[in-house]
Amino acid sequence: MTLIMVVDDDQDLAEMLGIVLNGAGYEVDLVNHGDQALEEFRTNTPDLVLLDVMLPGVDGIEICRQIRAESMVPIVMLTAKGDSHDVVLGLEAGADDYMVKPFKSSELVARLKVRLRRSSTDGSNALRIGDILIDQVAHSLNRDGRTIPLTRLEFDLLVALAKEPGRVFTREALLSEVWGYQHATDTRLVNVHIQRLRSKVERDPDNPELIQTVRGFGYKAGTRK
Amino acid sequence: MNSFLRRWRRSILLQVIGSSVLISIVVTSIVGTLLYSRISDGIYREKAHAAVAEAQSLADYTQSQLDITRYRTDLSLTKVISGILRVADVSPTTSVRETILLATPQTAKSSTVYQGTSNDVLISTIPDSMRKIVRKDFFSDPLRVKILYKGRPNQSIEAIAVGRVIGIPPNYIYEIYYLFPLTQQSQLIDLIRGWMLGTAGVLTLMIALIIWYVVRKVVLPVREVAEVAEKLTEGDLGRRLAIRGEDEMGRLAVSFNEMALAMQQQISRLENLSRLQQRFVSDVSHELRTPLTTIRMASQILYDSRGSLDPAASRSVELLISQIERFETLLTDLLEVSRFDARAAILETKDIDLKPLVLKVIDELQANEMPEFNFQGPDSEYRAEVDDRRIERIIRNLISNAIDHSENKGVTVTMAQSEHEVAIGVRDYGIGFTDRDAERLFDRFWRADPSRSRVRGGTGLGLSIALDDAKLHQGTLKAWGRPGSGANFVVTLPKNPGIPIASDPIEVIPSDQSSTLLPDFDSDDI
Repeated sequence: MTLIMVVDDDQDLAEMLGIVLNGAGYEVDLVNHGDQALEEFRTNTPDLVLLDVMLPGVDGIEICRQIRAESMVPIVMLTAKGDSHDVVLGLEAGADDYMVKPFKSSELVARLKVRLRRSSTDGSNALRIGDILIDQVAHSLNRDGRTIPLTRLEFDLLVALAKEPGRVFTREALLSEVWGYQHATDTRLVNVHIQRLRSKVERDPDNPELIQTVRGFGYKAGTRK
Repeated sequence: MNSFLRRWRRSILLQVIGSSVLISIVVTSIVGTLLYSRISDGIYREKAHAAVAEAQSLADYTQSQLDITRYRTDLSLTKVISGILRVADVSPTTSVRETILLATPQTAKSSTVYQGTSNDVLISTIPDSMRKIVRKDFFSDPLRVKILYKGRPNQSIEAIAVGRVIGIPPNYIYEIYYLFPLTQQSQLIDLIRGWMLGTAGVLTLMIALIIWYVVRKVVLPVREVAEVAEKLTEGDLGRRLAIRGEDEMGRLAVSFNEMALAMQQQISRLENLSRLQQRFVSDVSHELRTPLTTIRMASQILYDSRGSLDPAASRSVELLISQIERFETLLTDLLEVSRFDARAAILETKDIDLKPLVLKVIDELQANEMPEFNFQGPDSEYRAEVDDRRIERIIRNLISNAIDHSENKGVTVTMAQSEHEVAIGVRDYGIGFTDRDAERLFDRFWRADPSRSRVRGGTGLGLSIALDDAKLHQGTLKAWGRPGSGANFVVTLPKNPGIPIASDPIEVIPSDQSSTLLPDFDSDDI
């Protein structure tokens, strides 16, 4: 059974989230205090973390950073300020996605499903981008025999680009393909994660060769070897 | 010339120096002219006295010489006369005097006429009027004349002429004129005039300098005050005057600074207050979101299981859900308003075609419930660089508002463009509004008729936000209304950000209405 860890200091909201997620068929672990979050995470190793940004004790962004330092688990942030600097900080700290309060239960569940899904291996399970080999079955990345660790979201992002080398993806297209958004225009999500991905797979992140920016349009997988 | 006039108008220093120099020039020239004419008069009178005395003695001497030659021959007479004329026969410029001997008309009739001038002086030097006086009175008062020379038409020397009558034997009457050149006197007067002009120039310059110094003492601090006051007006509230001395200027600086400080404190107090209030609105909105999330999720669960509830409870859940939606819209609008108040609203522009956006909003609203909709406008692209999220919100707010007040009589949406502007007009034929309402139309939470029930449950912030959004694009939002005839709202946007609106592709007064009631809401009064 899939375990979701909910970190929120608002006990009523946490309980409500528990009810909704249980109803959607997930097991839920509620944590009410930021100080206990990391400990709980290590003990229970959840499949996904739902994290409120504003927490007493250690705040959400710091918890996000700590968890990301030792795990590739999907992290979704909850925030009341969708337009603020907090969102970018959370994404840069390693969060995969965020939900702005007040959200609908159905939206939340749909979004979590995208984050928890196993990437579909449509036949070709081995992809190549530049000098990197992508194994979609083993969900791993290899360069010169060495494994590069990626979060699931980063992996999905790289696969989406690598599947169609040379195609230019707009940010909106990536949001729909990788994040499951329908009409969203928050390009910060894409920008931040492309940067994070580059810092992991590019030899020189300042002069990216594998993931190239197409000014005014979006991104594409580099074809240069 | 124009720039000089502007500088003149803007500078007290220039005005004071200019007018005082002008006045001193006038005064010195009056005094100088008076003084000059007195002095030159005196000098001439002196010379005239001397001339009369000298002429008298010369004439007496000449007469005595002629008397001695009485009864002698013409030859000796000629000799004496040429002697008389030769007395001054030096060069014309240095000569002490010139002499002219003329026969009276009666004498001229006799056989021998002894007539002549010294140094080629022309006889016409002596005016006829003078000769008449001399012939009648045997002498004349000194007269100023110009000595003319034969063969030198350009040379003439000022002189004083004195005329006498002498007799030449045996009994002929002759006029003799002595001309005393005024060369020395003229030189002296020229010298005096030069000195006077020089003195006047120096005096004027000194006056200008003194006034410049004095006025500068006063004007410079005033100018400084003006500069600092301008800076204060521009918002640089920390600017102060330098305090020099304890005189009036020093006291002015002190009290000016006190005023500036009081103003700064007051402004920062007000700014602080308004910042606090904006923060408060923003914080409240955010704090409300967490409980709202819980309520929303809880109500959704109730809603999903409403089949098992009795009809009253089931309907209540439906109402609960719709009111939560409304509450959330209100919160979002409140947050947006607080963002505008805090000037934290940011324009994210894209080059888009506005027509599909308008059609999309019409489509979405039409799906709900609908008075008849009408789209008018040439079938072309309406491209503009705008923040599509905000423009969509403006259109949605205007159309929702129109639907709310249309009384199901239909809504017409019009689009038009000019070279630099795109306009969207939303017209309804419903209840309209009065002139008095027009002034408050864009006020927050204002309702045209409080007793009227809300059909769609708008937040009351829609028009206010639409106006703010339009202003953020440097566009305009104008409204026209007539009770019973409906209302017309026209938003006009620049195609490129930062270019002020210069024309109206759509007139806010509908073509089927001729009256001219018009509040203009593109000023910064809200």
